[in-house]
Amino acid sequence: MSKLSEDLYKKRISRQYLILVITLIFVLATLVTGSLYFRFYKNDIVKQSEAKAYDKYFVMITGNYKSDFWQSIYKGALEVAKEANIYVDLLGANLSGDYSCEDLMKIAIASKVDGIIVYANESDTMTELINEAVDSGIPVVTLYGDSTHSERLSFVGIGGYSVGKMYGKQIIDIIKEKRREDFIESDNIDNRTSIKVAVLANADSQDAGQNIIISTMQDTIKDENVTDSEFEVSIVAVDNTNTFSIEESIRDIFLKEEVPDVIVCLNELNTVCTYQAVVDFNMVGEVNILGYYDSVDIVNAIDRGGVYATISIDTKQLGEYSISALLDYYETGNTSEYYLADVTLIDRDNVAEFIQGEDIDG
Amino acid sequence: MDKFLNRPLQTKIISVCVFANVIIFIVNIFLMLGINSLSNDMEMVYQDNRALNQLSEALDNVQDSMTVYLSAKTSDSLENYYISAQRFSDLSSELDDKVTDYSFNRIERNIKYMSQSYLEKVGQTIEAKRGRNVEKYRNYYETSTELYKDISLYITNLNLELFAINSESFIALLKAFRAFELVGVAVMTFVMIGNVIIVTSFVKAMIMPLRRLSDSADEVADGNFDVTLPVVTYNDEVGIVIGAFNKMVISIKEYIEKLKESMEKERYMQEKELMMETHLKDAQLKYLQAQINPHFLFNTLNAGAQLAMMEGADKTYEYVQTVADFFRYNVKSTNHTGNLREEVTLVDNYIQILNVRFSGDIGYDKQVDERLLDYKMPSMILQPIVENAVNHGIREMMGEGKILLKVYREDDDVCISVIDNGKGISDEIKEKILTGSLIHDENSYDNNGIAMDNVISRLRLFAGREDVIEIISEGENKGCEIKIRLPLEGNTECTE
Repeated sequence: MSKLSEDLYKKRISRQYLILVITLIFVLATLVTGSLYFRFYKNDIVKQSEAKAYDKYFVMITGNYKSDFWQSIYKGALEVAKEANIYVDLLGANLSGDYSCEDLMKIAIASKVDGIIVYANESDTMTELINEAVDSGIPVVTLYGDSTHSERLSFVGIGGYSVGKMYGKQIIDIIKEKRREDFIESDNIDNRTSIKVAVLANADSQDAGQNIIISTMQDTIKDENVTDSEFEVSIVAVDNTNTFSIEESIRDIFLKEEVPDVIVCLNELNTVCTYQAVVDFNMVGEVNILGYYDSVDIVNAIDRGGVYATISIDTKQLGEYSISALLDYYETGNTSEYYLADVTLIDRDNVAEFIQGEDIDG
Repeated sequence: MDKFLNRPLQTKIISVCVFANVIIFIVNIFLMLGINSLSNDMEMVYQDNRALNQLSEALDNVQDSMTVYLSAKTSDSLENYYISAQRFSDLSSELDDKVTDYSFNRIERNIKYMSQSYLEKVGQTIEAKRGRNVEKYRNYYETSTELYKDISLYITNLNLELFAINSESFIALLKAFRAFELVGVAVMTFVMIGNVIIVTSFVKAMIMPLRRLSDSADEVADGNFDVTLPVVTYNDEVGIVIGAFNKMVISIKEYIEKLKESMEKERYMQEKELMMETHLKDAQLKYLQAQINPHFLFNTLNAGAQLAMMEGADKTYEYVQTVADFFRYNVKSTNHTGNLREEVTLVDNYIQILNVRFSGDIGYDKQVDERLLDYKMPSMILQPIVENAVNHGIREMMGEGKILLKVYREDDDVCISVIDNGKGISDEIKEKILTGSLIHDENSYDNNGIAMDNVISRLRLFAGREDVIEIISEGENKGCEIKIRLPLEGNTECTE
């Protein structure tokens, strides 16, 4: 056997050992990789449940938490709160069953939250509950609806006065238009009909804000040299005691002999219901709706002429203010008693930019 | 490594098998650990729900025992109340009060604090009942019942939400389980393949020296002792066998070498003997070929001689008698050794015959030491030499040719010289004659059929040495002497 084959033989033996070592490394690597891969994979699954923890916990108690209006306020509040490492819960949103603001107040007090933002009213129960909460060390901010006699920290809402003024001006516009039409149509000035204004007010609450709006509206119209004979303001109480009664009581208006010329709605749902009723009774143009809030439906209705005008409330600002009121309290122990959010009027002239604006927001 | 490789074969094989098994075992342990941890996780998935159910149960117990106490005021119910209140308080205090983006965390927090409020209220209710303050405990009872309902609702909500989340994680875990199965099978497969390769390569590495040994053994078996001996790699059994094999091959080689030497000697001896026999056989064959004629000739010539004597032709009688004698010697000498006397006589007869044939042209002289005539020597030696001298030396000279036959003693040798004064022999032919390479013309007429090389070979064999014959010629036409030198020693029939 030659030296060549001797080398070959040695080479082959060393190759076998090389294969052995490589395989050994490979096997170990497979084991380690497999177990590491699995470990990380499992960690990923477990990690899901970890989340950011917040310092404080506020709750917001509203009426119909599903409406655009309240959702928008809540979003504004949540945004600001999160910046301050606070979480705001829309209480009742994840509870099955129907809970009134009072029930939710009780739950909030029992839950010992760090702050309550509540859509209050002037009822005694609410006042008592607010006082109870404040007694147990929970600051309360009333939102949109006030409870003036309670020990609430501050009120965040919209100026009923300015809203009333806006409505008044719109009604004057309507009256003026009517005058012009009458002037053209009839020679006899005595034949003039008066404009009937119906204000849809919630029946159950002693809402001070609502009253302010109505009286300011009346004052504004009077100030514009409009004689009493030219307009008639009536307050139509809308039954809001149960979920579906609002819609029914609004329809009732249209079933009467005399349908008002102007219907002033003081919340979002009323506006939507009234608009739908006007469309259903084929009275678009005959009945002018002064709406409330600028949800997509309402803005679209203005665009189509179904709603004469509406007011846009800076809901985001409302949310922000309610949080900053509570934050101020925690930081300084004191805060301003009133926070008023901006209100803008939307009619056919400027509706386009709101549609646009919403598109951008959306 | 080397230390391990030097262990016995058995240890090595067992270790490799054990090693492969241990790896498989480790992989199995890993798989089992993984499955264990996964199934643990799966078990824990609905742990929250179970805890909540316990909480809910405890809450119910508190409420029930309180109600029972309020309605019956038994001491049993009070005890029950304390126990259940303690349990509920323990359970609720375990709840987490973190506020996070997850609603279930917040619900949990609310449940915790509401439970505290509830327990407080319930405590107050019980206190009021003890104090028999009917108005108060009824009031507290209502409040706590409301709270109880709220908490129950919250717990239900949390349960639902957790169930949804847990179901998700359960499915995720299930997926992980499947993934783990896949990874496990893959790892197992790889490790198994790896194991097979490890065992194979190890066994190959172990067997390779053995295979090499068998290759070498094969080659040795085929008779090639010049194989490169396999190197002893490790001191295992294979190494020992290889070492033994190497030693064996070396000693066999040595033994064969010795055997070869003695065989060589023996062969040489045998060859010598065989050669002698062969040449004699050859010469005899030549005789036999020639014998057919001599016998017939001899008888014919005898008849001719008698006829010549009866007619009184003496010369013819003498000539025919000589010829008859010549052939008689040829016929007679079946024996391979004759003596010098017979050889000389044969030459005499031959010359006489030639002189009659060629009418006395050849001058023939003898200077013979009579004492040496009984010397034993192979027959049919001198006559062919003389014949050669006549045929090649003096045939052409016509009357001037002379042949001198000398038999004398020189030192311990008997010397026989045939000297002629003919053409002489060139060095080239001389050489050829001595080495036996001169092409012999079988068909040449007029010879006795015995060639020079045969003569030389026989002389050499007889004397046992090479320098038995010498051809001396001083050149062209200066004659030639053929000198035979035979050892006197050991020749028993010699006169001295």
